[in-house]
Formats: sequence, structure tokens, C-alpha cells
Amino acid sequence: MNTPQFHRRRQKAVVFVGFLLFALILFLIQLWLFVMVLENILAGKTGMVIQASAFSFLLLGINIWMLAGVKRLMKMQ
Amino acid sequence: MNDKLKEDFPIDWEDDHFVTRREFFKFLTLASGGVAVGTAALAAYAQIPREEIKFEAAKICSTEDLKPGSALAFSYPRPGDLCILVRKQDGEYVAFKRRCTHLSCPVEYEVKNERELLYCPCHNGAFSLEDGSVVQGPPPHPLPQVKIEVRGSEIWATGAIKGDH
Repeated sequence: MNTPQFHRRRQKAVVFVGFLLFALILFLIQLWLFVMVLENILAGKTGMVIQASAFSFLLLGINIWMLAGVKRLMKMQ
Repeated sequence: MNDKLKEDFPIDWEDDHFVTRREFFKFLTLASGGVAVGTAALAAYAQIPREEIKFEAAKICSTEDLKPGSALAFSYPRPGDLCILVRKQDGEYVAFKRRCTHLSCPVEYEVKNERELLYCPCHNGAFSLEDGSVVQGPPPHPLPQVKIEVRGSEIWATGAIKGDH
């Protein structure tokens, strides 16, 4: 017999995996930004590096926010 | 079959080290922070002005030798260091190292679609006359710029801005 706790656990697991996959995508975007910044600097183009760096920090902020959210989720009874 | 396998390869699952999803998430966030800091470090590096190298000043030519929209090849600071002096169509003088940063072919001054460029005929590379940055083609770095001064009716090379290679 599936109890409400069981369903809640399963739901949490789904949310967790969703957050995890999203964090993974954001991390891949950050890696891409890093490589693009490196390529542009080597090519002598420095016009976009500040914006790319700021955007990378924004993605980091989202990742930290999601990590905090996941911790809150796991503490919920 | 399964019991036999467990007998042959006994694994103590209790002592084994699992990486939980939460730990993986933490690691991912940490790695994300590392990449963000790395990107910021690169951006900070890019803001550092390029080093200027002082060489002994040398006369290139007189101002009358170059008409607007023309170029002159010269060597600076050593005889084998090929450079190119360009008098842009607006009358401004600029000078760059002449070796393409791709495979060292000599670049030429060209006007294409009303845009002034330093063009490398070997692999269709092109550099901007503003700062030597790569405009098209395979060159991986900008052309190092040669500092010039107009002294009366003469043009002098006074130093070079170090390129990225």
C-alpha cells in the first residue's frame, strides 16, 4: 500500500532530479562561456568578456539558489 | 548464478563510498563557482593594457612619400622585422608588424567595400587598421602595432605594442 509519505518522497525525488538536470545545463552553458571568452581574448576581441563573465556569475547565482532550494526541500517533512 | 557471482566477488556495500545526488549537486555548484571565477579572471586579464616596448626611434620616411590611401613597407626595429606604414584615406598614419599572425605571410593594405584593411592573401585573413584586431580569416591574434610619431615633415617609429604572441 502506497502511503502519502511514499508519494511525497517520490515527488521530492522528481523535483530533485529536475533541479539537478537544470543545474547541469547551466553548468554546461558556463563552460561554453568560458571557452568563448578564452577564444575571443586569444583573437584579440575583448568587447564581450565583461558581459560573459557577469552572465556566468548570474548562472552561478541560480545554481546556488537551486542548491539552497533543494536543501530546504529535503528538510521539509 | 547470482549467488555464485556474489561469492566470487563479495562487495561490502556498507563500506562502499556512494556519491549521493545531494553531494553531486554540491559538487556541481562548486564547479560552477570555479568556472565563474575563471571566466572573471580571464575578463580581468583582458582589461590589462598590452605592454608597450620601447625601441630606439628610427625615421621611416617623410610625409610627402605617402599619399592618403597608400602604404609603405619598412623594417623596424631590426632589418628583418617587416612592418607596414599606412596613410589612411582620412590622412591618419598607422603602422603594424607586417607578418600575418597565422603563418607569417606579409600583409598588404587594401580597401574592400570602402573599408580599409590589412589583408593577408595566403588564407584570406584580414586585420583592422584601427587596432590590428582580426577582422576575418584564420589569424589567431591581432597584429602588433608599431608606435609612430610625426616630427615635422618626417615620420618616425618610436616603439611597438607587444602583440599576444
